[in-house]
Amino acid sequence: MIAENNSGGRAKGTGATIIRYRGVVKRYGAFTALDGVFLNVHAGEVVCLIGPSGSGKSTLLRCTNGLESIEGGDIEFEGTMLPRDERALRAVRQRMGMVFQSFELFPHLTAQQNVSEGPRTVLQMNQADANQRAAALLDKVGLADKAPNYPSALSGGQQQRVAIARALAMNPDVMLFDEPTSALDPETIGEVLSVMKKLADEGMTMVVVTHEMSFARRVGDWVAVFDAGRIVEQGPPRQIFDAPTTERTRDFLSHLGWSG
Amino acid sequence: MEFDFAVITDHARFLASGVGVSLLLATGFIVALLRLYGPPWLKPAVVLYIDSMRAIPVLVVLVWTFFALPIVTGLTMPPFFAALLGLTIHLAAYAAEIVRAGIESVRPGQTRAALALGLSRSQILRRIVLPQAIVRMLPAFGSLLSITIKDTAIASVIAVPELMRQSETVAGQSFQPIEVYTFAMLVYFAMLFPVTRGIDLFYRRVAHLGRS
Amino acid sequence: MTLDWGVVWQNRDALIKGTATTILLTFATMAIALPCGAVVAVLRLYAWKPIRGLATAYVEFFRNLPLILVVYWAFYVLPILTGLGVSPLLTGLAALALNVTAYNAETFRAGINSIRRGQVEAAMALGMSRVQALRRVVIPQALRRILPVLASTWVSLFKDTSLVSVIAVTELAYVSMQVRAQTFRVLEMLTAMAIIYWLLGYPQAKLVDWIQRRYAVTE
Repeated sequence: MIAENNSGGRAKGTGATIIRYRGVVKRYGAFTALDGVFLNVHAGEVVCLIGPSGSGKSTLLRCTNGLESIEGGDIEFEGTMLPRDERALRAVRQRMGMVFQSFELFPHLTAQQNVSEGPRTVLQMNQADANQRAAALLDKVGLADKAPNYPSALSGGQQQRVAIARALAMNPDVMLFDEPTSALDPETIGEVLSVMKKLADEGMTMVVVTHEMSFARRVGDWVAVFDAGRIVEQGPPRQIFDAPTTERTRDFLSHLGWSG
Repeated sequence: MEFDFAVITDHARFLASGVGVSLLLATGFIVALLRLYGPPWLKPAVVLYIDSMRAIPVLVVLVWTFFALPIVTGLTMPPFFAALLGLTIHLAAYAAEIVRAGIESVRPGQTRAALALGLSRSQILRRIVLPQAIVRMLPAFGSLLSITIKDTAIASVIAVPELMRQSETVAGQSFQPIEVYTFAMLVYFAMLFPVTRGIDLFYRRVAHLGRS
Repeated sequence: MTLDWGVVWQNRDALIKGTATTILLTFATMAIALPCGAVVAVLRLYAWKPIRGLATAYVEFFRNLPLILVVYWAFYVLPILTGLGVSPLLTGLAALALNVTAYNAETFRAGINSIRRGQVEAAMALGMSRVQALRRVVIPQALRRILPVLASTWVSLFKDTSLVSVIAVTELAYVSMQVRAQTFRVLEMLTAMAIIYWLLGYPQAKLVDWIQRRYAVTE
């Protein structure tokens, strides 16, 4: 079980602001996915984005590393605006790690090769060093023995853990998780959440889009509730889950059958 | 411009009128069913026929049908029917493969479900499997139709062998090969492009009917 | 009806040479059509709009034309375009290459497009450029789907070489029909021609089957 560890406030988040979202607007044709989002992510914080499907949480994440472009507002990463130029964006992406709902491991590479791919191809690391880093990270997520296996031979939970190791291999300053456990069987969700908690305990800055409320409650330092492209309420988990101040939040939580 | 087009468009028109296509489909269908459900002693012969047609060029089959078959059977056939026969022999094998692949691609769970309801094997084939299979066969048949129309061009060249000789004897006055062949190509393109696109679009609309 | 199968043996030299030409044409055409097809596919997928349109037009045009007409057309047009007399062999090769390039382009394009967008996104999230993502993630996966189709195209090409016989290229079909014309042994020569093609083509068809089974993709 995941142990409680949050301190009820932004005590952890008094470090530098890693990401600053100011009035972010994203439109797909006539549909507005993000309608003015304001949010700060501080160093070492675990920020959880919750809310109904289609409320913009994943979209915000994808705008963060430039997979999607924004139409209004700005996103500041480590003090500088997110560039529009693809080449500059690539440099930014190297400092962010992303974990996808559908894992997206490269099926033609082994677990080890998946993890060493980033360092090899992007960081131009030599084979031996990349392999060493990959082995260490696979060990960290508890899959050292699965290094030579192909994704097709791994369970969903194992694949997601490899995906986390793959993202960590780039030594990112922040990890972005897009519903990391939504595609997993209930039995394997726990192993992935454990790895994420371990990362959080080590001080990694994380932005997590999730439906796992107990994770947000216990590991999150700050929770933002999304609805229709806006953040309707944000605050420490204790406030959001125990004493929400807005109707929308209460509705959302009650729909999930959340009883604390 | 009177000679070759008559033959080309004759063939194409003939097939487009559906008779040739139905003959092709029917033969292909029967062959596929024989392969899947026929007596075991027949299967190797059917497989040999199908695989042989994949190995031998259509030109060779057509030439043999035109010139060698009359010798073997002692009958002479109008070029038109010789072409039809040759094309059917060659292409029915491909049709048979398409039918077989289509039928085999329907999930076995469908058959099991139908059996559980108490349907007979032939009812299952007719009412459950074939309808789904036919939808799945559409794209492949679309491309086979395209190939069939193209192959009629080969048939017409064999049927009108004077075509090449004529071009060499005429001093380039009444016979302008570039224009003639360019025009012929445009005619074929105008026939084929809508056919392949049309089947594509039609398939996209009905594809969901074949997904189980 | 008396049959003289000895005719086949007597003319074996010519037949063997014809077969060699057939095989040569097949290899030569593929040698051209593989890289050219790849180039056209890339143009279709990633170039600016007008070039994309041109590439698509090329592919659609040659996929919707009877090859035999292209052969004739090339025979008459190529000398005028290039200004010199090009041998029937090269003309035939050109026609075949134009045709197969179009098919290959379509095969490559479909193969690349069949790779899920998420794979490219995961690669880019790691910081890879589009080119790197293509090289390291998309193409290795796409090749698996492309190979069986290429094998099938190869066999079709092998059979289509018979069409250049109409412009007197001395490949197997032409040679067989020449011998037929000279010896008047119609049934024997035409049957021999069919059998030789069968002997060459049957194993190829079976090989294609094997490749398709081995590389079958299950999602």
